[in-house]
Amino acid sequence: MANRAKVGGWLQGKTVRKGGVSSTNHTRPSTPQIQSTSSTVFGGGVKDASGRTSEYFSMDDQCPVCKSDRYLNPKLRLLVSSCYHKMCESCIDRLFTLGPAPCPICNKVLRKLAFTPQTFEDLGVEKEVAIRRRIAKEFNKRRDDFPDLRSYNDYLEEVEDITFNLIYEIDIAKTEARINAYRAENAALIELNVQREEAYAQALKEHEEAERREREMRAMELRREEEEEREEREKGRREIIDKLETSDKNAAKVVAKSRANALKRSSARSASTTVLQSNAKLLRSRAAQSTAIPDAPHVPLQDDWYAYEDKYDMRTGGYHDFMSEAVRKDREGIMRGGGYRVEEAWERALRSAVAALDLPPLSGLDPPAFSIDAEGDIVMASA
Amino acid sequence: MLTVEPAPSASPTPKRPIYESSTQFRNWRFSPEQLSQLRSTLNASAVAVIRNTLENEKPGSSSVVSFLTVEEEHLLVKLYVTKITQLCGLFRFPEEVEATAITYLKRFYLKNTVMDWHPKNVMLTALFLATKTTNNPISLEAYTTHIPKTAPSDVLDLEFLVAQSLGFEFAVWHSHRALWGMILDMQNIPDCPSDTKPIYESALAHVRASRLTDAELVYTPSQIALAALSLAAPEVASQWSLSKSPSEPSSSLLSSETLHAVVETIKSLITSAGHPPHVEAVREVDRRLKLCKNPEKIVGSHAYLAKKAEEEKKAEAKRNKKASETSQAMKDGDPFGNELIKAPIGLVDYDDEDDD
Repeated sequence: MANRAKVGGWLQGKTVRKGGVSSTNHTRPSTPQIQSTSSTVFGGGVKDASGRTSEYFSMDDQCPVCKSDRYLNPKLRLLVSSCYHKMCESCIDRLFTLGPAPCPICNKVLRKLAFTPQTFEDLGVEKEVAIRRRIAKEFNKRRDDFPDLRSYNDYLEEVEDITFNLIYEIDIAKTEARINAYRAENAALIELNVQREEAYAQALKEHEEAERREREMRAMELRREEEEEREEREKGRREIIDKLETSDKNAAKVVAKSRANALKRSSARSASTTVLQSNAKLLRSRAAQSTAIPDAPHVPLQDDWYAYEDKYDMRTGGYHDFMSEAVRKDREGIMRGGGYRVEEAWERALRSAVAALDLPPLSGLDPPAFSIDAEGDIVMASA
Repeated sequence: MLTVEPAPSASPTPKRPIYESSTQFRNWRFSPEQLSQLRSTLNASAVAVIRNTLENEKPGSSSVVSFLTVEEEHLLVKLYVTKITQLCGLFRFPEEVEATAITYLKRFYLKNTVMDWHPKNVMLTALFLATKTTNNPISLEAYTTHIPKTAPSDVLDLEFLVAQSLGFEFAVWHSHRALWGMILDMQNIPDCPSDTKPIYESALAHVRASRLTDAELVYTPSQIALAALSLAAPEVASQWSLSKSPSEPSSSLLSSETLHAVVETIKSLITSAGHPPHVEAVREVDRRLKLCKNPEKIVGSHAYLAKKAEEEKKAEAKRNKKASETSQAMKDGDPFGNELIKAPIGLVDYDDEDDD
């Protein structure tokens, strides 16, 4: 019976563990567990920002070598060789366990450990990412390593050229020679830039760490304060009760006095916390300052129209105006919802009252105010 | 506080008053003589066209028809101006809608004649258009169901024609707003009456009467408002206008005496022409209009069909011409044709066949 169960397990494609390497390795349940039939741990692949590799996975996967697919083997895992051909783990185990062997597809000699998990659906992308990462490791010059923009652009152009050649496999030998020449020439600078890069990453990490610590400290402070406040309240209550018990003063007076005391204490406390908060604010604003853009003063639109500004004066205290009474009495601001301001309506009315007051009317017949077209048909034919 | 650099005080070009940027100043300002000439020209050409059409239909038939005169046309338009006021009361539209619609109606009949387009439908369209352009929209159904014997098509059929005749210039400076500003600004003159409301109300009545006249086509809104205020409270009006008179006399602008003369003219215009026409007289005009209306504009008539057919032919010819030009251009190698020839800008561009 037990025997049969084991066989069934194999048939159903359950994980057959070899050597028990991963049996002790419990990962969090939230991370997708890569089901593997191989004992080899394959490294590499494209890592995301958090350092994890997300593997490409599809229901239509099929190993091009042994033609087994996900239907036959639910744990099918395809890996990518250094010549960018996919094959399943069992094929890799079968072909490369005994040392380097030619790729069954392109005959390039491959090693077992050079297989990497697949991240992108398109292997062209996979290849390009890998090449770009390799190139970026060495071609790491910055803008300030160059005297002018032109030479920096030329450098970028050259880098892109090399990358392109590598991706599309044009003049590989010559390109590799170019890379080597570059490496030999700029060894010191490359090293320097690598160090700079590391320093920057380190600084970023430290900054994050400091921020996290500060957050924690603030939370702790808050908790402590709450605790204190609670204790104090408790103490105050007890005090009142004691006093009410022992003294023969007016009860209301005693209560009011102790209340006032409590208030004083709490205000003193809040003053001390604001110092802490302002410290944090200062820190943040300092960090923001490095990226701040100077704020240019706003110049309103200028035109050459004269809007009769000198002909009227807005009364500073507003007007006694029965027309706008409803709007001004509207306390909830329902009528002003769209941004209506009665001052603007007043100003428009005032402007309209003095607009063109001194414009003389036209007289006589010149210039003619209209013209008639060739057929004498002023009236429109149809709409 | 930001400091903004002050504008250069001595600008090379003197600033122009903002009223002169309005289409009202540029395109809808006439002298009384221009107005009467424009109307008589329109009337004469409309009569000629209709006479011609009637003769084509049935020779000798035009001699018995008595066409409307300029005054009769004007009387009819004036009646429909009062109808706009009635409708605005029915719908409780704000003052602005009423004033705008009346302006649209008057402007429309400076480009068209009553004998071509009956003011009843034009009035409905102008009012509906005014509700939209003054941001007081109402649904077409609500609009037409409250007006007896009106279908949505009556309003919409003419809408493009009206908008086109207005030159798509919908913004109007109104005298009632100028009057409001004057009532507000009166509070700055020393012996202002404590309660301005009665003055405002009687002045507003005069502003409304001025809408029945040609005042807004000749004078500026502030001048009309000042005249209305002067009719309501002469003392206050003269004090206010004195406080606004320019300190140094200028040749192109009015001095306070001539402004006074202008105001007097508007006042007499309002008192003489600012009342609704007698319905009996208008009814007589309307009865005659039925006989002399342009048959080409009456749907279903013989002349209407003939005109339609002719237009169709013209459009067809134009389309064919365009097609041949395009194919010619394709052959020449430039798929976008040759350089455009700029059309001369007329009063209103009526040559617009692509929209029907």
